[in-house]
This record gives sequence, structure tokens and C-alpha cells, in this order.
Amino acid sequence: MKKTLSFIFLAICSMNTIAQTPVNSGMFGMFEARAMGPGTMSGRISAIVGTTSDNNILYVGTAGGGVWKSTNAGSSYKPIFDKYCQSIGAIAVSPTSPNTVYVGTGESNMRNSVSIGVGMYKSTDAGDNWKKIGLDSTEHISKIIVHPSNDQIIYVAVPGPLWSDSKHRGLYKSTNGGESWEKILYKNEQTGCADILIDPKNPSTLFASMWQFRRQPFSFNSGGEGSGLFKSTDGGTTWKEITNGLPPKPFGRIAMALAPSDPTKMVAIVESKNTGLYISEDGGNNWKNQSATMNVCARPFYFSTIEIDPLDAKRVYRPAFEFAYSTDGGYSFSGASGEGGWVHSDMHTLWINPSNTNVLFLGTDGGIYRSLDKGATWSFCHNLPVGQFYHVSYDMQEPYNVYGGLQDNGSWKAPSSAPGGIGNAHWWRVGGGDGFWTQPDADGKTVYVEYQGGNMQRVNLNTLKSEEIQPKQTKGEDKLRWNWNTPIVLGSQNPKNLYVGSQYLYKSTNQGRDWVRISGDLTTNNKEKQKQEESGGLSADNTSAENHCTIFTIAESPLDEQLVWVGTDDGNIQYTTDAGKSWKNVSGNYAKSGIPAGTWVSSIEPSHFDKNTVYVTFENHMYGDHQTYLAKSTDMGATWTRIQHSEFTGFAHKICEDLINKNLFFLGTEMGLFSTLDGGKNWFRMKNNIPEYALVRDIKIHPKTHDLILGTHGRGIYIVDDIRAMRNLTSEIWDQDVYLFPTPNITLNNGKMGWGGPDVSGGWYAGNPPEIPSINYYLKERLSTGKVELEIYDANNKLLQTLPGSKRKGINKVFWNLRGTPPRVADGSVKMEGAGFTAPMVLPGTYTVKLKVKDKEYSSKINCVHDTENKDLNETDRTLVYNKAMQIQSLFGKINDDIDTIRLYQTKLKADSTNKNNKAMNAELEKLRAELMATKQTSIFADEEKLREKVSKLYGVFCSMEAKPNDIQVKSIEALEEEYAEQAKKLKQVMDKFKPKINL
Amino acid sequence: MKKLILSLLAIASLNFSFAQTAEEIVNKHIEAIGGVDNWKKINSLVMEASIKAQGAEIKLTRTHLHNKAMRMDIAVMGMNGYSIVTQKEGWSFMPFQGQTKYEAMTPDDVKSSQDELSILDEFITYKELGKKLEFLGKDDLEGTECFKLKLTDKAGEEITYWLDPTNYYTLKQSQKVKANGKEMESVTTYSNYKKIDEGVVYAFSLGGDWGDTEINKITINPKIDESIFKPSN
Repeated sequence: MKKTLSFIFLAICSMNTIAQTPVNSGMFGMFEARAMGPGTMSGRISAIVGTTSDNNILYVGTAGGGVWKSTNAGSSYKPIFDKYCQSIGAIAVSPTSPNTVYVGTGESNMRNSVSIGVGMYKSTDAGDNWKKIGLDSTEHISKIIVHPSNDQIIYVAVPGPLWSDSKHRGLYKSTNGGESWEKILYKNEQTGCADILIDPKNPSTLFASMWQFRRQPFSFNSGGEGSGLFKSTDGGTTWKEITNGLPPKPFGRIAMALAPSDPTKMVAIVESKNTGLYISEDGGNNWKNQSATMNVCARPFYFSTIEIDPLDAKRVYRPAFEFAYSTDGGYSFSGASGEGGWVHSDMHTLWINPSNTNVLFLGTDGGIYRSLDKGATWSFCHNLPVGQFYHVSYDMQEPYNVYGGLQDNGSWKAPSSAPGGIGNAHWWRVGGGDGFWTQPDADGKTVYVEYQGGNMQRVNLNTLKSEEIQPKQTKGEDKLRWNWNTPIVLGSQNPKNLYVGSQYLYKSTNQGRDWVRISGDLTTNNKEKQKQEESGGLSADNTSAENHCTIFTIAESPLDEQLVWVGTDDGNIQYTTDAGKSWKNVSGNYAKSGIPAGTWVSSIEPSHFDKNTVYVTFENHMYGDHQTYLAKSTDMGATWTRIQHSEFTGFAHKICEDLINKNLFFLGTEMGLFSTLDGGKNWFRMKNNIPEYALVRDIKIHPKTHDLILGTHGRGIYIVDDIRAMRNLTSEIWDQDVYLFPTPNITLNNGKMGWGGPDVSGGWYAGNPPEIPSINYYLKERLSTGKVELEIYDANNKLLQTLPGSKRKGINKVFWNLRGTPPRVADGSVKMEGAGFTAPMVLPGTYTVKLKVKDKEYSSKINCVHDTENKDLNETDRTLVYNKAMQIQSLFGKINDDIDTIRLYQTKLKADSTNKNNKAMNAELEKLRAELMATKQTSIFADEEKLREKVSKLYGVFCSMEAKPNDIQVKSIEALEEEYAEQAKKLKQVMDKFKPKINL
Repeated sequence: MKKLILSLLAIASLNFSFAQTAEEIVNKHIEAIGGVDNWKKINSLVMEASIKAQGAEIKLTRTHLHNKAMRMDIAVMGMNGYSIVTQKEGWSFMPFQGQTKYEAMTPDDVKSSQDELSILDEFITYKELGKKLEFLGKDDLEGTECFKLKLTDKAGEEITYWLDPTNYYTLKQSQKVKANGKEMESVTTYSNYKKIDEGVVYAFSLGGDWGDTEINKITINPKIDESIFKPSN
């Protein structure tokens, strides 16, 4: 019986072990990403909402960077939605309970690159905690309105899916604070609700605009019979279509506003065959066309915002291609002044402070602007790092630079580290337009950039002069088809090979000065998918975003420059093994693995370890399919295995194989970064300071620094510095309770860069990677009981320093400052004594680190090596500097010992203060003490310098010295030693004189 | 036998599927840290601690009379400072920041510090102080799935706690502090929990923006000379 019982317990225990996921992001522990930003250029803003209770509080929704909150009217922002979907469509704050905030995910600026959402969220504590409250399948939400006096009533306008039919479109209402929803206005599976207005004075009156729209990979259509303007006077129970004075149908998207101070006054921009501005003065029943400029009426599917000042019915704002405002109720418009600086075009949202309507916040394709004069001038908020990168790359400089192209914000370059850390001022624009691939050449002087539709240049990084290098159509060729996001790729095996692709693949070996077309049409060349001229629907819209049947991804094998893979947006995968002389199309083979035929090939990663192995991501969201498609072939694409995991979310953009560990991969999708440590059997979502559902478009690993570099479409660039410990994490390690990683050799210096001063440019600040490598250890679980300490010993087994150890689950990092324990400082000081914080840097040699976890001890060696790159300090001089620093430390110790002796005597002498000799000795000791150390400091701005302060200062100089000391520096040690000898003599004299006479 | 296996399996599955309420979690937390009775026996305490940073050390001593007064002494690089809070007044003397004489705390600061006068764990006193308790579900704290709880006091001040589901110890707390129009978040992590002789359990390691604090010694119910709760330079 007993045996049976223990068997059952064992079985239960082992069941639990099996049930646990063997690996997760917690294992990477303190390997947290550095958010590089930048804030120099920001990203698309989809919603800005303030609260009525505190006008300094703002909630900002972004196209791909989640929700940010400011509590200081935009001076700083913090992300508050990093565990959820990052594409935000709408935000609303309850007018009666300002801590209640609703977020509708899924932006509704329906451009080609718009992301998708997963429904509604609610917070009742001003954004600290969020709860999902339904409408999960809506994909895009354009507006949320909370009833002005009953916060249980909420209206949500749902345009719905962009790429497929859906029954989930329409206008929704909740009467119980979002617990349940009722669809109160619906037309058909192609028509959603684009906008909703509520009359604040009579909240039963609502206006809704319905919008029929659809995208396909190769065209966009805005408009149809489903579109229309509707009014309800019974809280949405019944609706009546409004047509009086409006243009003939069909309509496209309608932007509309009513004046809160006088809700009879309304304005609307109605997309139709003759898109125009319409004004109503009777609460929307009758409308009149009003002439307006192209700027006011342009691109209605993308510029769908018009607002009226809450206090002034005549002041109308139209944030669109550019900003326009009217002071006469919309009859005429003027543009903003440029005095406050350039304002990014393409505007989507405007918040007007209802308590001070001079103050406006404007959301554009390039971030947030703030106006203090009703939109006449604007200043940029350069602290919101929500840039939408398509790709990221690096060079081999020291420190290396990162490069990337952004949606509507050009192409940029910044160093990965800099004196003082990376701030906005370190970012440098190298290309304009919509930026995509930004590839630095191996020569260190050149970068290749592009803007939409494959318009590419070779840019000289010293002068920023650029030359157009795009291959052109030649005789006998079809018109060239360049993807919106045209690949510009350097060879992985031979970086002198530069590849670009239209429907043909081109190669240059002289920096784009000459091109050789090395393929025929590698796409399906399906003519039905090439009617971009017809794109747009009611308003023509053909910006190259709809170009199709194009090459989207190019990858040269890192093992063989003759082997090049190409993937197209219409599902072709082709490769050449002879540098383009012949091509093999293997796209007929992947459908058997469960990936739909014809699916967009988003990335190809030829293996670094086996020429026949290749990894490919596919994405099919433009056909309404959001599955994560990742496949592997080990036989040159003849057969494919789909790699699936329950953890995956979002359609896949990029698969990245590690350069060293063939079992380590990173997968970037529209909703997260995933990693596997076992070759793809088990995957986990990477968190580690990365938004959990980040739109990860590109992933690179730097071959020299071992940094993981991420390009996100909404949160800029992230760098996880030096992932070697992650790379070395194997099941032999993660099965152990504790594991101390070997520490790579540490070069002895004070870091590679100096301080650099405060970041004067302001804005987003990314800091630097650590200057000293960390000591890394793995803990299987977070420790809530027991102590963790690291002890560092020198070769003579002398304890140099004890460091507190962190106790996080996964890899922990502890930084040893390469120094011993600072000297003790005697009590009674009147200022902070710097010497007490430092010790000389250790000499080259082998040191032992002992990691103590609870009652167990783990040990490893650290080799500290001389910095041969520092020509100011040879090894002999290094030893000299160390010895001198220790000599001064010893002097500092003697002074403090004497001060302690004096204070001890003084305390005892005070016990009998009536004794004359006691008093006299005390006074003499105090005089001595005041010569040994500063005792009269009255302010931190009035330094008193006595012997100890002088010694401390010199000690600090030697402790931080990285050059041979000069003669005077060395001589000054002797001078201070002599000065001390004098003081010591005096102390002895006082002691000798008084000791026999005093009463202790 | 079959019945036995089934009931064992049922017990095992209970561990994983039983949805706990906020109060159940709090009760287990209180039990884990020694129980209400042991905590309520504490009238005074002296805590000696140190913050170590790159070999340098800051010494801290907290002297505490339950619900009456608290004094924190700080010794840095040969300098000594302190802060004192009582039920009505408070002072601080921080020569490291250039102060040459102690300064009185503002009435607002004294008021907002009153919660700290209690020696008891917040989860023992929350009901009598009229705080609202919420269970916010499970939350991933750096790889550890924790119970997330929130206490809101009558003034609307919130503190969020992350509790280790295996032993119900608090691993982290986060408090939003509003001062002079600014909102700041103050985060403390707790570890190295140990039971002391009096039966209560304390976290002997604390982490925060200021560095890692190690508690070296806790003395329960020592006799305290109340004159130390008056300032003197």
C-alpha cells in the first residue's frame, strides 16, 4: 500500500513537471531590451484623449506602439498597454468616472500597412490594469463614446475587417459598462461604422456614418451602397438615413463633427464622386455643400477627422494632409503657421482641452504636436518613441550603427552607444519619404536607402549626397513592378553583392553603379493582380502601396554566394545555385505542409549551418487569414515542415537563426517576438522589456557584439545587448537550480566612453550598454527565501568585494566594478568623502567569483586582462598606478584611524568635563582633528579642504587613472605623507603631554 | 484503492484549478508570515540594515514604536542623518544633501507618513483602516506568475502587491505617490524571507531604486528611549 501511494505521488509530481512549459522568457531573466527609440521622429498617432477632471492627463493611442499616458500635459509619456495588442483604434475616458478608460484595439486609418486589433479593453484605475471586454473579432475600431451622464452606456463604431467580409461590423452599444454588447446599426458584411457622434445636450440623439470599403493586396476600394449618414433620436434603437442636401450616393467614408456648444451646427466631409464639405445648421437634417480646398477634402479614407471647438461653434478644425482651421463655422479655412517648426503631414486625431480651448494636441503620421494658440503654431513632442520601422540593419563600426526605414518618416542612422548614452540628437536622417530597407555598405562610407515603390539611392554618409540607383525598364521587359517595401539586400556570404528586386532580380557588385538582371520574372505575373491604376474606389488612391506580383524578400546563403533565395508577395519561392543563371521554383511544395498556396513570402532565412536548410515565414493577412506561418525545409525546398506552436500570435514577418547556436531562433510577428532554444520544438513569447505583442518586423544579430537588434513597427528599435548567455542556455543548464556561467575575459578599463554630459537634446533617451561585462548566473526559480551573494577573490584568495546578487528567475546579471573594497571613513564628517566610494582597479590576473545561493556555493574564474588598445597606459605603468593608489589608500586609512582615536578620546574626556586637563586635551585634540579633516563645512557650496580631503582627492585621481601618472602627481603623494607625519607627530605629542594628567 | 487514487488526483488538480478569492490569498499570506497573533505581540522593533554598492556601505537603523513613532538613522561615509515621524510631527536631517540643521516635515508629509507608523503587515490592518482589497488576477512578474492584489485607502491612494503563489510572500509592491503635482511610482521588491525567534517572517532583502538593502538584525520589543523621537543635531 505504502509503495502504491508513493508511486501515485511520484506520478502526480511528474505529471506536473511535464505539464510545465520547459522554457519561457523568464529564463532570459535580466536580458532586457534597450528601447532605442528614437523620439526624434515618432510614428502614427491614432487617438489622443484627455480627461475633464485633470487636463494634464492624456491618453495616446498609436498605430503600432500601444497606449501611452502623460500626467503632465505631454512633458513625458509612459506606455501603459504593453501586455496587449499594440494597434490602437480609439480611446475614451468616462466623463463621469475619469478613472474609467476604454481602449478599442485595431487602428482604423485603413492604409495598406494598418495593423489589426483584438477587441475592447477597459480599465477602472486610470490605465494601471486592463480587462478585455469583448468585440474580439472586430479587428478595427474607429471610435468609442461614453454617454455624458450615464457611464454604463457606451457606443463603439466598428468599421470591421479591412481584408475580408465580416458580420462583426457595425455600431455597438453596451448598457452595462461593456459587460455585454448589442449591435444597433448594421448594413452588410462589407459595410462598417466609421464614425459616431452624440449630442451632449440631448444624448438620445446620435449620428453614425456607415462605410463600405475593402482592400485586396493589389487594390483598395472606398465606397459603395452600404455607406451613408444616419441619425437616431432614441439612443440608437431606430435610425433614419439623412440625405437632404448631401451629394448623390454612393458615398465613401464620412468625417463629421457637431458643435458641443450648439449641437444644431454640424460639418461633414462626405466622400463621393465629388467629395466635398457639407454644413448643417439644423442638427443634421438638412445639409449644404460648401466649397473647400483639396487639402480639406483630400484622401477621405485616411483623413477622417474634423473637430469643432467645445466652446465656440464657429471654430472648426480639419487635421488632414495638412492642418486647417476655420473661424466661421467651416465656410472658409486657413492653414497653420510654420513659426513653431515643421509639422508632419497626414493627421488623424485632435484633442482640444475643454477647459482651455487654446490648447490642442494633434496626432500625425509622425507623432504628437502641441499648440497653445488654437492651432496657429505647433511644437513637437519629441519624447514618444513609436516609430514604425520596416527593417533594421547594422554596420561593423566601433561602436556599430543601426539603420532603418520608417513608415512615412524616412530612413535613419544612429550609433548603438555614444558618450552619455543615445539621445534624440544621435539620430541622423539618411533618406526621405516612407523608409524601408536601409542598408549600410561594407565600405563604412555608404548606405543604400529607398522610398516607396523602389525609388532607391546610394548615399554618401559623409556628405549625405545621394545618387539614384534604381534599375530601369529596358527593351523587351515588362513595366517594372516594385513593391511598396522593395528589398535592398547585401550578400550574407559576400557583402559586396548588392541585390534589389522588382519582378526581376538585379545584382550589382559596384555599389549600384551597374546592375545585372540575373533572373526572369520570378513572380506569378498574374495580370488580374496588377490593376493598381483602378485602386481607391470613389477617390483614386494609387501610391505604389498596391503594387503586386513583386519580389519581397531576397537572401543569399551565408555559406555560398552562388545560392540565392527569392520570395514574392504572390507566393513564389525560387532559388538559384549558380548566381542567377538558372532558377528553380519550389512554391508548389509548401502547401502540403499546411500553408495556403500563393501566400506572401515575408522572409527567407537560409541556414548558417547547412546549405540545404532554409526557414521561411509567410503571411496571408491580406486574405483575412491571421495565422502564423513558419516553415522549414532541409532539402532545398522540395519538402516543407510547418512549425507551429500554441504560443504564436499574429502573422509572421521575420525568422532569424542565431549565428552560433543552431537551436536558437527568433520569430517576429505582427503580435510579438518569439524564441526557441531547442530548434523550434518549444517556443515562448519574449518579454524582457519588449511589449508582449510588439509588431516585430525585422530581427538581426550583430556578429561582433552578439546584440539582438529588433525593428518594430510602432516602438522603434530595441537592442538586447550581448546575448551570449542566452545563446549558451541549454537544457543541461536550465534543468539545474543554479548555474554560474563562465565570464568572458574582462578588459580592464573604465569603459570605452566618457560621460558626455547631460542629454541636452531632451526627448527619448536610450542609455548605453553596460561598460563592464556582467557576471551571469541562472536561477531556475525566483528566490523568495535565502540569500544570494557574490564574492570576488584575488589569486591569493583575499576577498576583494562582496556583491549582493539578484534573485530573479532566469539569467541574473551582477556587475563587479573590477575594484576592491573602498576604504573606511571615520565618523564625524561634515561632507561626503569620495574616497569611501572607490578603490583602485585590480591588476591583470585571474580572479575567483564565488556565487553563494542559500547554503550552496558555485565558483568560476574571471580573467582580467590589460587593455592593449589604450596606448596611454602600458602594463608597467598600470602596476605603478595601482601601487600608488594603494599607497594613498593606506595613508587615507592612517588618517582615519587617527581621527577615530581622537574622537574616542574626546568622548571619554567629555565624561569628566570639569577636569581642567580633560578640557585642555579635548581642545587640543579638536584642533588636531580640524587639521586632519574638514570640520567647519557650512554649505555644500563652500568646500573646506584639510589633509583628509586632499588625500581623498588625490586618491580619486589615481583610482580613475588610465594613463601614466605625471611626476607631480607622484610627488604630491610624498608631500601628503610628510604632512601626515607632521600631524601624527603632533598627535603623539598631545597624547604624551596629557595622558598622565587626564581622568578617563 | 481506486477511490484513493481518484481522491489523490482530485487533490492534485485542486492545487491548479481552484480559483482563490482575494481574502483567501490574504489569509494564506498572513499565515505564511507568522499569523496575526504573533504580529500583534510586537510593540516595538529595531532593525539594522545596510545598503551595499560596489563595496561601499550605507548603514541604516530603524527604531519603531508601533503606531507611535519611527526613527531612521542613516550613516554614510562618516556622516550621520536621520528622519523621525510621530503621530503629530516629523523631522529630517540629511547632511548628505547639504542640510546643516534638521528640518520639520510639512503637515502633509506627516499625514501621508502615518501608515508607516504601523509595524504590522498591511494585509493585517487593511480592514480596520477601511482599505479596499482587490484581486487583480495572476500576473507575470519577471517570469514568475504571481497573485496581484491591490489595496486602496480612503483617500484613493493605491498600493499593488505581487505575491508568490508557492508561499504567499510579497515579492514586489508598487505605490503611486502624488507629491507637489507630480506622480511618481515607488517600487520595492522583497526576498530572503526568514522567520525570526518571535515567530514572524520578515523579508531580509529589499530592492528599490536606491539599491539593495540587506537587513542584518531585527530586535523585537526592545526597550526604547522615547527621547530619540525628538530631533537634535
